[in-house]
Amino acid sequence: MDLRTYTARRLALMVFVFFGILVISFVLIYIVPGDPVGAIYPQAPPYMIEKITREWGFDRPLHEQFLSYLWKLLHGDFGKSLLTNRPVMQDLITFFPTTIELATFATILAVAMGIPLGMISALKKDKIPDHIARIFAISGVSMPVYWLGLLMLTVFYYQLRLMPGPGQLDPYIKYPPTVTGFLLIDSLIAGRIDAFLNYIHHLIMPSFILGLFGAAGIARMTRSSMLEVLRKEYVRTARAKGLRERIVIIRHVLRNALIPTVTVIGVTYGMLLEGAVLTETVFGLPGLGQYATRAAIHLDFLAVMGSTLLIAIIYSFANLIVDVVYAYLDPRIRYG
Amino acid sequence: MKIGAKDAAVILLIIILVASWGYFLTLGRPAVPTKATETDTLIIARDISDAVSLDPARAYEFSSCLIVNQLYDKLVDLRPPEYKEIEPEIATEWDILADNVTWEFKIREDLTFPDGTPINATTVKLSLDRCLELAQTAAWVIEQFGMGGNITVVDTYTLRIKLAEVVAPRLFLSCLTFTSAAIVNPTLVQEHEVAGDLASDWMTTHSAGSGPYILERWEKDVEFVLVANEEYWGAEPKLKRIVVRHVPELTAQMLQIEAGDVDIAWNLLADQIEEITGVEGIKVIRVPSFFKDYLGMNVNATIDEEKPLGDNKVRDAIRYALDYDAILDIMKGGAIPLQTFVDSGIPGYNPALPYFRDVDKARDLMAEAGYPDGFAVELLVQPTLYWPDLAVIVQDNLADIDIDVTITTITAAEMYEIYRAQGHELILAEWGADYSDPDNLAKAFADYTIRQLAWRNTWYNDYASNLTKEACSELDTVKRLEMYAELTDYVLYNGPYAIFIQGVYQYGVRTWVEGFYPDPTFFLMDFSEVYKEAVYK
Repeated sequence: MDLRTYTARRLALMVFVFFGILVISFVLIYIVPGDPVGAIYPQAPPYMIEKITREWGFDRPLHEQFLSYLWKLLHGDFGKSLLTNRPVMQDLITFFPTTIELATFATILAVAMGIPLGMISALKKDKIPDHIARIFAISGVSMPVYWLGLLMLTVFYYQLRLMPGPGQLDPYIKYPPTVTGFLLIDSLIAGRIDAFLNYIHHLIMPSFILGLFGAAGIARMTRSSMLEVLRKEYVRTARAKGLRERIVIIRHVLRNALIPTVTVIGVTYGMLLEGAVLTETVFGLPGLGQYATRAAIHLDFLAVMGSTLLIAIIYSFANLIVDVVYAYLDPRIRYG
Repeated sequence: MKIGAKDAAVILLIIILVASWGYFLTLGRPAVPTKATETDTLIIARDISDAVSLDPARAYEFSSCLIVNQLYDKLVDLRPPEYKEIEPEIATEWDILADNVTWEFKIREDLTFPDGTPINATTVKLSLDRCLELAQTAAWVIEQFGMGGNITVVDTYTLRIKLAEVVAPRLFLSCLTFTSAAIVNPTLVQEHEVAGDLASDWMTTHSAGSGPYILERWEKDVEFVLVANEEYWGAEPKLKRIVVRHVPELTAQMLQIEAGDVDIAWNLLADQIEEITGVEGIKVIRVPSFFKDYLGMNVNATIDEEKPLGDNKVRDAIRYALDYDAILDIMKGGAIPLQTFVDSGIPGYNPALPYFRDVDKARDLMAEAGYPDGFAVELLVQPTLYWPDLAVIVQDNLADIDIDVTITTITAAEMYEIYRAQGHELILAEWGADYSDPDNLAKAFADYTIRQLAWRNTWYNDYASNLTKEACSELDTVKRLEMYAELTDYVLYNGPYAIFIQGVYQYGVRTWVEGFYPDPTFFLMDFSEVYKEAVYK
């Protein structure tokens, strides 16, 4: 099967995947015990609780609510959030850009840390640098995010004053007008270089923490594929031809070893795009993770459905793109 | 012994870790900032994720109401520092007419909104009618008086409101201090109305008031920015700008206040307050809140085919078994003792604290009630904050009188569903006053016909219910307070509750901030008197 046909088939199958996710999410949310209206307004008079429940349609039979939701979804209406009282689509548009910015920076850092670590490990296999690199990578994945985040804030922000505090900007820096929702882009549009640079400064610590997670997987894949490629005959040939070691490693080894690493990078980026609630909470970043988690805790049904669907879409497309890129980079790969 | 490469790497890393740990331990507290930056701007770190709408007719969340109260005026208000006495605001004077249900308000003359729209009796009528017509959750505070359709303009500066029945003056006036009774600009309402929404959508993120501040910006889960209203009719606000930044992580709030990057850390927990107490440049400001914590006992709960909680001797035994000192200890300054349902600071407050831990007495009561061997019971509690600790204390205390408590930790959504369905046995919960009058608390704790706490705990007591209704409509203030003294005592000794603490709000504030008097509720805070010294004290 050629790549185009394969891609079309995957896209078509995604519709069924999304539908399945919607059904499962819907059922799961509704079987969880609890009354979200009563919890959000614990002191409201009973008649008010009943009124709100009726207004939101929570008193209707389950299948009616699901079909109604599905019908609206087909018309691009994700429904309204009980917590924010805004359309879920509007909430997702508000919070997703921050997650994209954070995920992008985190992935860049993950690649910047992971690939060199993997290279060092492969080239200095079983020597001290290899062990240090691997311990560093595994430590990053093992340390609790919440603890690491607070530790970094305490040390680098509070004690050493090298890094800024929580939030996207310092308290005295004014936000630029919202145009795209991406603060980095909006800062540039408004000509606010101070806000642009300050936000990047604010992104360093949370991106580093998330990047550590990704770096471990990237380092491990880079190491193992480099070790495999280093054993190949064409590498031995390159060395026999008298090429400098740096050229051998970069042009012959790394270029081929990175192909499988690309898949790990793609999957990592997809996972980060789902939002990182703990990092967002510690660093006060208004992202998708915080929104989705708060919705889940408060049984904000439609917000949970919308977030779940968005995450499913992100993950499905991330996997598809990775598979396509992989096949493009390595002509030996064929699907179907 | 030969050390391999792997071992050497591990040893090296351990040395680096220990060395860096040792270095940071010697650092101590960094130098405190000595000068307030931007003295005309107040920066507050607070979790504002609960904010939904800044339309006064909709605002019912803590963060929403905090901001709304800066943007809008009301007929009357409760002001800092004490927030105790009803004071004139848009209304200069008021009176009850001869029928005892019609109120007449004189409106302050020559006031305008920032855009020049006049504020008069018509404006007030439109604002109140608007709130009642939108009929959102927050509207119940004024809707309960049945004044819909009964608000009339007598002349430009005279308004009459006719209530459905006689209510105590303090009750009605304190409800008018709630943010849903705010006066809104009718010009902006008309301009921004879409599909009959009375501009509610637009007012979610814009201000249309005459208050000391105007909303410059609200970004959900990011910040509120308020700027001083230069046309304000009252005293000019001392701050030009107020920024409320969303900081959901409370440790981060603590770090920011210590670093001097924010002026007020709003949500610090008791442990964190302890941490910053005594730190140079920071003061802790405390105010008893209108929230209380209690143990609810379902009178009708069937346990082993009997209803032990239906016997007041058993409930009394439970009240005598609790260790109130231990409960106060875990709150670490975040609470004061309270055993009656009217909080300190509200008229009708009853300071009686007759219950104390007396295990012998509790055991005797249990024996008298016919439960010398106790019984097993389930206690519902939320998993957040200090609630699990409280539950453990209750469990431990009741074990001493052979009440075997099983703690069930569930989410708020689930807990309140069970509670509203009268499905619990014991429950740990809190309740806050919606306005500064004992009626809303009496209705909740004593009047089962209102279907709040008394009803949820299946305590159908006609005496308490009738006394609540009588006190609600008593026009004589002295007599009314006597009724609440009687009612609070009655509920204290007979009700299905063991009330043990009144919460205390605690704020971390830089010492360069002056005039900050936090309110005991969530909707009365007034920033117009707050200012910053240039140099910290």
